Amino acid sequence: MDDARWYEEAVFYELLPRGFFDSNADGIGDFQGLRQKLDYLQWLGIDCVWLLPFYPSPLHDGGYDISDFLTVAPDIGNIDDLVALVEDAHRRGIRIISDLVMNHTSDQHPWFIESRSSRDNPKADWYMWADDDHGFADVRVIFCDVESSNWTFDQRRQQYYWHRFFHQQPDLNYDNPEVVDAMLGVVRFWLDLGLDGFRLDAVPYLFKAEGTSCENLPATHNLLRRIRAEMDVSYPGRLMLAEVNQWPSAVTEYFGDGDECHMCFNFPLMPRMFMAVRREQRFPITEILAQTPPIPDGCQWGIFLRNHDELTLEMVTDEERDYMYNEYAHDPRMRRNLGIRRRLGPLVENDRRVAELLYGLLLSLPGSPVLYYGDELLMGDNIYLGDRDGVRTPMQWAPDRNAGFSRADFAQLYLPPLMDPVHGYQAVNVEAEQRDPSSFLHWLRRMLLVRHQYPQFATGSLEILPADNPSVIAYVRRSSVKDGPAAVQPELDSAADAARGPDFQVPPGEPEPTGTHTSVLCVSNLSRFAQPAELSLGRWEGCTPIELLGRVPFPRVTANPYSVTLAPYGIYWFELEER
Amino acid sequence: MPPTPSAFEGLVIPYLQRQPWFLADMSRFDRGVWATVRLADLEILLDGRPGLASVVVTVGNRPFHVLVGWREVALAPAVLGDHQGAVLGMCSDGGGDVLCYDALADEELSRGLLAFATAGRESAKRVRLVHSLASHASLVYDEHLFMKSYRVLEPAPRPEIELMLRLEEVGFEHTLRPVAYWERNGWDLALVREYIPGAVEGRLLALTSLRDLLGRNLDDGRPKLEDVGGAGGDLSSEVRRLGEATGSLHLALAEAFGVRSLPDGDTLRTAAIRIHGDYHLRRVFRTDAGWIVGGFGDDPLIGKSADSTKPQEPRFASPFEDLADLSYSLRQVAAESVAAQPAATRIQAERLAKAWERRNRGAFLSGYLGVGGIRRLVALDRPAAADAIKSLITARAMPT
Repeated sequence: MDDARWYEEAVFYELLPRGFFDSNADGIGDFQGLRQKLDYLQWLGIDCVWLLPFYPSPLHDGGYDISDFLTVAPDIGNIDDLVALVEDAHRRGIRIISDLVMNHTSDQHPWFIESRSSRDNPKADWYMWADDDHGFADVRVIFCDVESSNWTFDQRRQQYYWHRFFHQQPDLNYDNPEVVDAMLGVVRFWLDLGLDGFRLDAVPYLFKAEGTSCENLPATHNLLRRIRAEMDVSYPGRLMLAEVNQWPSAVTEYFGDGDECHMCFNFPLMPRMFMAVRREQRFPITEILAQTPPIPDGCQWGIFLRNHDELTLEMVTDEERDYMYNEYAHDPRMRRNLGIRRRLGPLVENDRRVAELLYGLLLSLPGSPVLYYGDELLMGDNIYLGDRDGVRTPMQWAPDRNAGFSRADFAQLYLPPLMDPVHGYQAVNVEAEQRDPSSFLHWLRRMLLVRHQYPQFATGSLEILPADNPSVIAYVRRSSVKDGPAAVQPELDSAADAARGPDFQVPPGEPEPTGTHTSVLCVSNLSRFAQPAELSLGRWEGCTPIELLGRVPFPRVTANPYSVTLAPYGIYWFELEER
Repeated sequence: MPPTPSAFEGLVIPYLQRQPWFLADMSRFDRGVWATVRLADLEILLDGRPGLASVVVTVGNRPFHVLVGWREVALAPAVLGDHQGAVLGMCSDGGGDVLCYDALADEELSRGLLAFATAGRESAKRVRLVHSLASHASLVYDEHLFMKSYRVLEPAPRPEIELMLRLEEVGFEHTLRPVAYWERNGWDLALVREYIPGAVEGRLLALTSLRDLLGRNLDDGRPKLEDVGGAGGDLSSEVRRLGEATGSLHLALAEAFGVRSLPDGDTLRTAAIRIHGDYHLRRVFRTDAGWIVGGFGDDPLIGKSADSTKPQEPRFASPFEDLADLSYSLRQVAAESVAAQPAATRIQAERLAKAWERRNRGAFLSGYLGVGGIRRLVALDRPAAADAIKSLITARAMPT
């Protein structure tokens, strides 16, 4: 594959720099700490790390309220640390992207401090000011739990300013060309330092216009195209990954004609994976996939099970939301805005079978999977912490003090690690799971290895196969070109390699064209009970499906429906060679 | 040069007499009818090797349609594979002996048939014979088209085809779209419709939901009735959407066939419309694009389930008849699930299943009454409508 299109086959890993590893015993994770853990990420099979905001910030919104775009928050490190991190990562074949918040700044940002100081200062027009709060009356309030309006009155300037998120995050005024130029300067600054791209936060809201929802406006798309054009010329191979929490048809507009964002998150798919498992039927998934339009060549979806935000339920109907609340967030503390603030482990009630099923879907449905730090261990959450902090507790490295995350005093930690008997660090941590070859961590690593061997998972077409049993979902990922899987199968990990620990490295397998069309068939049981299913595999008549993990040959496909029997929450991945 | 008409007649009639479906149909007539068997119509569709002909023979005034294919004698057995029962016999096509057989057993000819039935508009790479019944055989092409090749012919238009075309005209979307129909000399020979793979019978979704609910009997703590709505497999939002699809079906039927009044003395305060008439959970299918309604005549999807439907006589009645039929089938499927439970948990299961039925019946009606324009057909408010349907269900549950 063209290296500039690396993101199409990449596995992403989203992490909170403050929460990953603390190298200087101040209780806060930092870039130096992250550098020390790159071996672990390489061992796991990660291709790209997405750094949550590391900029100076008063931290009203998890660092998304940035008070200086051009440096690193001192508790996380400095620019040199970041450069060293990027270089170390690149040596391991890992790329690094960071959050870029274009829509707003912190109210502590010098731009805003200047803008609010008077009505005629040089930056007076860098934000959205108005004499009353009547403008944009039709626009929804996103953080509806805490903000009653998108307008807040500023005493000093005696005017209202506009904010789509918290009132500490005033929206920038992109109608002012100086703002656009300033933000382009920010983009160039980080790309020049070696970052591999950005996860663009809250992009639909950049431009505003009266009488509209102030979302997805044409001017916003024009700006994204402008940034992309500059990146293509000056920074080829860097990534724009957009956070667009909208319906698939609106999201695909952010790919443009392949000239806007390289990737967008598929938000509607995520809650429906959970819903399908709870309902034990495939239609929540297949229905949203059927509504998802094709995307231009060179574009890719980002798909995820959980992330640093709540499990967003904006992209479901009210009825579906009620259902999800009832099923996954019976305690109101688990809910936030229009979502559920929980990590994967507790969401699946610590049922490893369900977690495996969900990851099986995540790694095989169209898109590049984005894992959230700690979810590879099925780490828990702490719903008694405020805002979304419950899912941002320290990474659990070891059963030692402070989860092996930091040598600081416990009281110094930015957030307490989990200590409950089920999800706490004594029970759930990297060290223990690396030692145990049957751990969830090892299982996931094996699945990532297999996924890397078959580019079909990343870029193959998707065809849902009819199955008579609604609790079974079956689909084929088929590559458009004739090629085969890696000729040399990297040895799957075993107890021996587990004992060798994170230094063990897997030689990359080079795909060798074999002149056949190899497809991957994925069959999953969404039910907690064993299920039979009959699949129509007529096209592969005469072919012997090979199970991907154990290379087990299954009975040959005939003209008759193909029978499979699945264990509760069972998943099968097969190789199918088309003749 | 294709085989002669008399060759076809000589092969097709004995072939029919070996077919169980034909004999079953004929058993209604007295033996004298056999003297009247004759070749009524013949069209050569493909002249060559392989060749294909559409042959109509009448027995009395009852017409039967057989698609006859032929190939070199040496090649035919390999083509027919397991379908050796499809052989009609040998004859000559001018170039020597050929083996004639029922063309639906030959994939290449079956694919060719699609082109004839759609006047060349459609073609397919793959075909499979789904089932072969007395009235027709069903073929699925490339998993997206479905052809019903009629065996017993009726004068065109068949009520089934007419109904389908009228629903298409008024823009009813919750059904399999008609693609083409093949007619010759006043007979409908075949109907081609869209096919949706992966459509799941409503009954199976209902059973999935009940399985989850009743499975809670094994969990710690007795499941409570108020848990029914919270059960993971809750079906109510699906059933609500089914209610909406049903409402638009009735509006479409009213538009296509007109609205009448119920007979005097009928206590239901609804209009009389052409109803589906056989509306239950085996007649509705969940697809990736929502619910579709089948069972207008028999149907590609319904062929999968054990019972095959009898063509429905067009019937004008209250739309509540359909609603009651479907609601009653919710009760039946709940009872079926309960019966499959071990005796020890059956009483508890029964309570849960009743609550499940109530919840879903309510959701179905809410979806139905929520359809814009449905008040044209139904003058009752929701509680009155619910009561009316309940008494219709009770009537269905009475032993007859």
